[in-house]
Amino acid sequence: MTMLAQPSPRLLPAIWKLTLLRLRITVNTFRHAKTGRKVLTIVGGLGLLAFAGFIFVLSWLLLGFLRSPGLQQYTGFDPAPFLQAVPVLILSGLFLGILLSSFGVLLQGLYLSRDMDFLLSSPVPVRAVFVTKMLQAVLPNFGLTALFGLPVLYGLGLAGHYNLLYYPLVILTMIVLTLAAAGISALLVMLVVRIFPARRVAEVLAFVGATLTIVCSQSGNLINLNHNAGPSNAQLGSLFALLTRLNTPWMPLNWAGRGLVDLGQGHWLSGVLLVILTLGFSALAFWFALATAERWYYTGWAGMQVVARRKKAARLAQVEERAAEKPAPGVLRLFPAPVRAIVRKDFLVLRRDLRNLSGLITPLIFGAIYTLTFLRGGEQIAAAGGEAPGWFMTAMTSLLAYGNVGMSLFVGWMLLGRLAGAGFSMEGKNYWLLKSAPLRPRTLLTAKFLVAYLPALALGWFFLVLISILQHISPLGFLYGLLAVAMCLAGMAGILLGFGVAGANFNWEDPRRMNSGALGCLGAAITALFLPVSFGFFTGPLWAVTALHLPIAFGYLAGGFLGTAVCALGTFLPLGLASGRVEHLDEA
Amino acid sequence: MPDHTTLIETRNLVKKYGDKLAVDDVSFDVHAGEVFGFLGPNGAGKTTTIKIIVGLLRPTSGTVKVAGCDVQAQPMLAKAASGYVPDTPNLYAKLTGRELLRFVGDLYNLDRPHAARRIDELLRILDLSAAADDTVDSYSHGMQQKASLAAALMHDPKVLVLDEPTVGLDPKSARLIKDILRQMAERGAAVFLSTHILEIAERMCDRIGIINQGKLVAVGTMTELRALGKSGEVSLEDIFLSLTGGAEEAEIAEILK
Repeated sequence: MTMLAQPSPRLLPAIWKLTLLRLRITVNTFRHAKTGRKVLTIVGGLGLLAFAGFIFVLSWLLLGFLRSPGLQQYTGFDPAPFLQAVPVLILSGLFLGILLSSFGVLLQGLYLSRDMDFLLSSPVPVRAVFVTKMLQAVLPNFGLTALFGLPVLYGLGLAGHYNLLYYPLVILTMIVLTLAAAGISALLVMLVVRIFPARRVAEVLAFVGATLTIVCSQSGNLINLNHNAGPSNAQLGSLFALLTRLNTPWMPLNWAGRGLVDLGQGHWLSGVLLVILTLGFSALAFWFALATAERWYYTGWAGMQVVARRKKAARLAQVEERAAEKPAPGVLRLFPAPVRAIVRKDFLVLRRDLRNLSGLITPLIFGAIYTLTFLRGGEQIAAAGGEAPGWFMTAMTSLLAYGNVGMSLFVGWMLLGRLAGAGFSMEGKNYWLLKSAPLRPRTLLTAKFLVAYLPALALGWFFLVLISILQHISPLGFLYGLLAVAMCLAGMAGILLGFGVAGANFNWEDPRRMNSGALGCLGAAITALFLPVSFGFFTGPLWAVTALHLPIAFGYLAGGFLGTAVCALGTFLPLGLASGRVEHLDEA
Repeated sequence: MPDHTTLIETRNLVKKYGDKLAVDDVSFDVHAGEVFGFLGPNGAGKTTTIKIIVGLLRPTSGTVKVAGCDVQAQPMLAKAASGYVPDTPNLYAKLTGRELLRFVGDLYNLDRPHAARRIDELLRILDLSAAADDTVDSYSHGMQQKASLAAALMHDPKVLVLDEPTVGLDPKSARLIKDILRQMAERGAAVFLSTHILEIAERMCDRIGIINQGKLVAVGTMTELRALGKSGEVSLEDIFLSLTGGAEEAEIAEILK
């Protein structure tokens, strides 16, 4: 009995079948999810709809208010040019947003998803696979943009009493622009993948994206340090003027918005012309992407299957190879070969996989921004004076100085959160190699502790040196700071590693998705408490002896002893408790 | 030829996952110089048994000894004596082949010059020298499988445990691995391998164990297994199907042809 499979040569039925398949997977995922997740999904969906409704009503009222003649008479500000620029801004934003945000999603969907072997070996047109993947990648971004953009555009239409043709055309234009942007984005992806390996591009993209996001968010804070006042009326006025000036008919990106406004206001000739131009160019861009996809997509995907020899990478590896032949540096020589091997391996893996670096970059950027902040304002603390008693000022100065050390500990804590909290989880599916090797739990814990502790210590001490130089800390104070930072970080590393063992997760594909679950969060919360408490044991006695007019040496001795004892407890107690668990990790 | 030193000894091995009995009272021995094939349908308990032998899983009850050392009581000694090749070669993707082997050498405390010689030797034998300085993520499945075998052979183990070692390998690589396993056995090691390819088991293995639904249903040489089967069953495939209840499925397969 033999049945021959019928190929699906027609494009639309094939796209329909593949889309239905995706829909079925989504529905099945929802049906088989836990009740809590189902409820959360439904509540989230309703919340988003309510939010969209809120934006719609708000836009309607606000834009209607802006159009009121009374306001215009009172303020002398003519809002009409700005209001006409709103659709242009939204639709241009939609196009550029989809173009940029789709790149990473399309790269993942078109080249790195696991069903590609199955789909491309099935009798389905490559174009159908391409279109389905593109839709699948772009729909969430489109949904999000539409959620915010559509209510504003409809609110604008209602407030301006636009004619009925405006409303369906808004949706049509948004869809067409999204497809055009996704098509161009897909072309860019296919072009880049022909030159660079897709996986590497995804890693670099994730790294750059994470870095830019944090830099942008934090640089805003940095700028606001000295400029706490909000934007002035004049600044707002010039911003509106700039937005109005950008609404020029010579920019093709503006045609969609201008055309819709013209149609809405009954300027038929210019409206129809601009909308037709928009639809035509968008369709052309999408068609070109489709036509090119047939060839570029398949060759790009097929190229990924070839094992490429990367000479440069090989040379780099050889250089590192020679470095690895040398004896282990400094303190590592004190540890046995398996500990050194795991430490070396982890540092290599962390450095080479950019996806790991994007997780580590947060504390480093925080550190860099904190350094800048400190360099700009740090010396003011030491120079601060007042009419308070001398002993109080001395105490406050030392407290502030050590407060800055505390801030550097905070940066170290963030780094430890990733390195110690996920120390075991980072092994992922490779953990069998360690588990089947003759290693004691103590060896594994020591290695993972060092992997987390050494970089955090380096970062903490770097800040300490910087602060000590800027604040002219005495040599004794500096040495004391070294001890405090080293011990506090050790305590936090021990606690985070202990919780990391308890919540270890080896089942992940992307390092950014490894996490230690609720136990990891608990570890982070406990260390967030441990940090000020342990640091308080170091600084408290210093403050006390100053207040009691006792020699400061007593404070150093008492603080050093108490702080070290508390931190040693923080280091060894969780590791001792975790030791028993290490033996049975990954034995589900 | 096998001598009678027992290198793998399992006694009344039981493993439960919740209510599900994955391994049910399994006992067998594997001797030095012997290649032991472990056969069974999908989900029969092969991988679970293997993971217990190499110390990746704790048995619910029963004992396993590797090179005379109890895997649960003396895990360090047992693990030092064994090498393991898993069914899926998950290896550190961002290490080069050479770095991976050096890492494994360090885990087993091999001294550096000896490890370096061993790495070169294994890379050459397994035809990985040209790719030694490429990261593992650029390796094909077969190359990763061979790298995994190289890692298991780094410390020249007395016991080698392999889970489906020839899956996804081209005929040349599969032959190479078979030759290596045979040489290992000739040098006195115990080789324990699970496979679905009955021809490999029939031609390579000195003794064969068949597991079905967690129970060891037969152990012995091919001659002993033939004696167990119904009259007229001469091939391992027939014996396997009759012992694991797969004869009906074979008939269905015939109809579908």
